[in-house]
Amino acid sequence: MDSPASPNSLDLDRTLAMAGSAAASFARLWQALWVQPYVAPPLLEMCRLTLARLHRDEHELAATNPHLEPGALAAARRAAVIAGQAHAATGFSVTERAVLQFAECYALDAQSIPDGTADMVKAQLGEPALVFLIEALGCIDGRIRTARCLRDLQRFAPAQAAHVG
Amino acid sequence: MSAKARARAPARRTGNPIRDSALALVPETVDEIVALNSAVWKRSLVSPALLETLRLRNARTVNCVFCKAVRYEVARADGLTEARAAMIDTGYQDSALTEREKLAVALADSYLGFPAGMGAELAQRLAREFSAEQIASMFVALMTFNFTSRTAVSIGGMPEEPLPVVLVPLATDD
Repeated sequence: MDSPASPNSLDLDRTLAMAGSAAASFARLWQALWVQPYVAPPLLEMCRLTLARLHRDEHELAATNPHLEPGALAAARRAAVIAGQAHAATGFSVTERAVLQFAECYALDAQSIPDGTADMVKAQLGEPALVFLIEALGCIDGRIRTARCLRDLQRFAPAQAAHVG
Repeated sequence: MSAKARARAPARRTGNPIRDSALALVPETVDEIVALNSAVWKRSLVSPALLETLRLRNARTVNCVFCKAVRYEVARADGLTEARAAMIDTGYQDSALTEREKLAVALADSYLGFPAGMGAELAQRLAREFSAEQIASMFVALMTFNFTSRTAVSIGGMPEEPLPVVLVPLATDD
């Protein structure tokens, strides 16, 4: 199998494919997240970077997103998100700030997202987009978590990693 | 947890709990989420009791009131009685759960930690007890349980108090 040596959220499906049809379904859902009318791919990528930053995951932060057109996310904006400075930096729209604030709250504790933070996303993008964003954040965060665990498995149980990774 | 629901469920009911939730507002993903949930329960590479162990550990960590109350009939039939479900809690290491069930709880905790990750001892125990395919299958199940339960929590509108345990069949329309 052509699975990556050190998986991240973006190439995880190649590693998980051995799990069969459930993994294939998860991979289809992942693909669908990047072609929908609610949250533009560059903004979704900024959400991924926000979650990766909170996990302090350098491997994830260094990954290149194949779902983005080249140049779709300017280097300065990417750097601001990775530094956790999107809220203060210039060049971010009200919608982008609202979504990134929501992403950060979601990552820290999904139970404690302030109503005002959710209302801001809903006001900017609408109710279906809020639901989509919540789904997408869960998928992205889950994939980052799984990739981290699989990398540890590769590191600590290399015989298994010969199959898993 | 927000007491008010941040998104509305559809008025028309289908009998499928996913389609009858606010997830129906996103037609681009809802069919695949229904298919994914079905595939996890019907075509995973580990037993239903192990899946339920992962699901309940996640539900209790995420504190999804609805998820915590649900028990899947297929897992109950596979031996995960209510007494055993209660063991998926603090002190599970010293409980009567099987070694594989304890490892499933530990796997879930590694995934659910912040930041996520596992140590050498657990990695080696998992590798001895499960095949690579089974480990991959458990991660797919965990991701599914985790993102759907966190979606429910994030949308809000859940009761604060625990709900009575309810035994549910697998959905039939997926």
